[in-house]
Amino acid sequence: MRLPGRGSMFFSEMIGLGKAKLALVLNCIDPCIGGVLLLGDKGTGKSTLARAVARLLPDGMPWVEVPLNVTEDALMESVDLEDAVRTGRHTLQPGLLARARGGVLFIDDVNLLNSDILNLILTNRDNGAGFSLIATMNPQEGPISSKLIDHFGLCALFETPARTALRLKVLKRSDRDEAQNGWFENLDARLRKRIDRARAQLDAITVPDEATGYAVEACMAACIEGHRGDLALERAARAYAGFCLAGSVSRKHVERVLPLALIHRKRELMPPEEEEIREQELKEPENRDKQTEPEDRENESSDGSSDSGPGGQTAIPKPREGRPREEVFQTGEPFKVRRISFRKDRLERRVSGRRTSTRFAGKGGRYVKSILRAREPDIAADATLRAAAPWQLKRGRTGSIIIRDEDFRFKQREKKMGHLVIFVVDCSGSMGAKRRMIETKGAVLSLLMDCYHKRDKVSLIAFRKDRAEVVIPPTSSVELASRKLQDIPVGGKTPLPAALFTTYNLIRQVRIKEPQMRFVVAIVSDGRANQGQSGMPVREEIARGAAMLKEQQNTDFIIVDTEDKSGFMRADLARRLAGALGADYFTADDLKADYLAGLVSSRTV
Amino acid sequence: MVFPFTGIVSQEDMKLGLTLNVVDPTIGGLLIMGEKGTGKSTAVRSLAELLPEIVVSRSCPFNCDPDAGQLCANCSEKLARDGTLQREKRRMRVVELPLGITEDRLVGTLDIEHALKQGEKRFEPGILADANRNFLYVDEVNLLEDHIIDLLLDSAAMGQNVVEREGVSFSHPARFILVGTMNPEEGDLRPQLLDRFGLCVYVQSVRDKSLRVEILKRRSRFDIDPEGFLGEVQKDQQTLSEEIVRARANLPGVHMPDEMLGRIVEITTAVRVDGHRSDIVILRAARALASLRGHGAVEAGDVRDVAAPALNHRLKRTPFEDIGSERKKLDEVLHAFTG
Repeated sequence: MRLPGRGSMFFSEMIGLGKAKLALVLNCIDPCIGGVLLLGDKGTGKSTLARAVARLLPDGMPWVEVPLNVTEDALMESVDLEDAVRTGRHTLQPGLLARARGGVLFIDDVNLLNSDILNLILTNRDNGAGFSLIATMNPQEGPISSKLIDHFGLCALFETPARTALRLKVLKRSDRDEAQNGWFENLDARLRKRIDRARAQLDAITVPDEATGYAVEACMAACIEGHRGDLALERAARAYAGFCLAGSVSRKHVERVLPLALIHRKRELMPPEEEEIREQELKEPENRDKQTEPEDRENESSDGSSDSGPGGQTAIPKPREGRPREEVFQTGEPFKVRRISFRKDRLERRVSGRRTSTRFAGKGGRYVKSILRAREPDIAADATLRAAAPWQLKRGRTGSIIIRDEDFRFKQREKKMGHLVIFVVDCSGSMGAKRRMIETKGAVLSLLMDCYHKRDKVSLIAFRKDRAEVVIPPTSSVELASRKLQDIPVGGKTPLPAALFTTYNLIRQVRIKEPQMRFVVAIVSDGRANQGQSGMPVREEIARGAAMLKEQQNTDFIIVDTEDKSGFMRADLARRLAGALGADYFTADDLKADYLAGLVSSRTV
Repeated sequence: MVFPFTGIVSQEDMKLGLTLNVVDPTIGGLLIMGEKGTGKSTAVRSLAELLPEIVVSRSCPFNCDPDAGQLCANCSEKLARDGTLQREKRRMRVVELPLGITEDRLVGTLDIEHALKQGEKRFEPGILADANRNFLYVDEVNLLEDHIIDLLLDSAAMGQNVVEREGVSFSHPARFILVGTMNPEEGDLRPQLLDRFGLCVYVQSVRDKSLRVEILKRRSRFDIDPEGFLGEVQKDQQTLSEEIVRARANLPGVHMPDEMLGRIVEITTAVRVDGHRSDIVILRAARALASLRGHGAVEAGDVRDVAAPALNHRLKRTPFEDIGSERKKLDEVLHAFTG
């Protein structure tokens, strides 16, 4: 996104975005690299930089932007209305994709684009529609699936510079004198020339076996699934060699583009310091920026040393796989734990998670757009009229409108807030062990983040002492929920039956208002109930509560057993409850935030 | 008849936020957060009276700026044909975006009637067309449908409304000053949309008893005799709109000393906001304020006074973080600012 006001910026005037610039330049040189995904926080210049690339393209090469509300027919092809009216012929006019042929298709906020549309775009591209793809996304607005992400050849991360000096430079540049336009225009022109030359030579560049071998090794070392990574890496290295005016690809060329080709394909993102260190080592004397803009190069390297600085909070490294869990908690502060588990969760989901499809087959829900085919005859009158409109004269309309079968359009509906995720959390004394509660809260918070991405509603029931309480009534405000979660006290007996009844009542209440609502109940407890509601044995109460809950339609259950399985006292009571509810059952060891979150994703889809 | 802007008692932050946006429309709009009945809507609607005139391409439904690079398809065609665009002056407006708005009405759609009668494709402009170079006002913006918000963001980001659907392919400039109000108790706004607003102010009910009495009095005077009340504030209205016109004219000449740029970054690094948007907004707002105050160069006081509205809504607030600590830091930095 761009601040309104000034026209688009010059590619060369943007500061401190070395890696992203390199990725975009390489993609200009060789569109077969497979496109570039620009990933990062809001306001870091993703879209501005992407649009600046348009200036680097050869004359006449199309630059086509995809609006988020694009329809299938606009993307593919549609009936040429005027031609239809004048001649009565059914001529098709080219869609967006056809217009992008031989050029670049740009998608801003690709994670907000309907996934069917994105699939359609990617399928067409892979089938030789002949355009290259540039997209931006802010991961805080929700993930896209790893499958789709893999379709992007290169990826560059954007971060807010932590160093004041760099920030100052960016600010100053934003307010620069218009008179400097010529200077940057000139720089852009020189860069463009260099790109053109590299493109022309591309086919002549050889790739020695050593370089190929190294590329493959690097991909294998990073545990990349599939071969797209290898291909992108090799092509990018070749384009880079071309850019450096080299006749063949060297190991250095591969190393330089390695982070761009692999960062989005790893199961986890590389911790930033590690990557930056490598960047430092990789600095080449023939750095491309030397000729175009010295300032930029300087910033790039200063960027690297800044991550450990006081403002480097955005760069907190997440624990790598295999590191003992305790290390995560050594920091002690519950805040840290939450933060890390949240980041871990978010990154992991970019790989395995997917957005809840709230599309709705029935007639309920909101009509969002019209489509050509539908499972149910849910006619969209407006779109049908629009489709029939141009033919009216030709069909000889005198009175009422003439509508034929091919005019019919159908409604695609979406239900807003299709799911309510109810967390039922054991806050009794047995959960008091600090680490256990921290883990639990971390997991619940991760799930809340997940729900935010999907715009789901959440609710939280806490049970302790003699009662269960709806601490967070169904809300779409994840922020409110997480704030309240923080304050839940722990201690006292375990009134599990009360929790089940409270959950039951909550579901019933919500269903009255929103009969279409789907529920996911996540019970987090060790199952050691010791507080009943009536004179009945606690076990009997649980059985009854579970039976009532199980009868509820559209409701899925997840049990997370927090009992310490290494102790002598294990009773596996939670497993029994899971059996009674027909729930998916997990132990405390599975209680990794990302694991649980992935689970909820799969249940809510 | 609308209650006049200068008749509004207190709520200086809100009034300033709106005024700055008139002085420099590139500040990026204003989000007004606060409880019901605090004059949010009144202030925005009354702003219309004070807005200056802008030069537009004659009879262009999209208010194209004849001097800008970006034109609608019609104006581009005219320019190519005639070599020049005819001009006319129009007063800037406050265009309202109703909550239940459909996608068609927002971005525009095929004119069905025209198609049926003439068999000709014609684009029927939506609200975004009206909004170009004007204020776009969304009351209770937090209650807007998600997909409408996405579209709004999309056009705001591009400065352009691109329609690619159902056989219509059309684009026109859509640079609007987004003004939203919201009552935070009724739901959140996504961080991405929050960031979209240049400035953000909080309004509260006036706590001072005598001021509250004054509000009541003015309101009843206005209700009984609107014309008479307008006469009372006529002079103030006149002065303010002249000030705005002057500030707009002087804006490009207001100098931004390097030292002030440093101070801006000092603030934004201290509170660790994401992205560069806040820095740029402070710069623009401080310059607009300096121009309004008749300063030849931006002063520390100008930066200080716009920092909070530029940062209020950008302080780090992932769902799991407490914004309290950053807010405290901002207060400290600003407190120490002018010494």
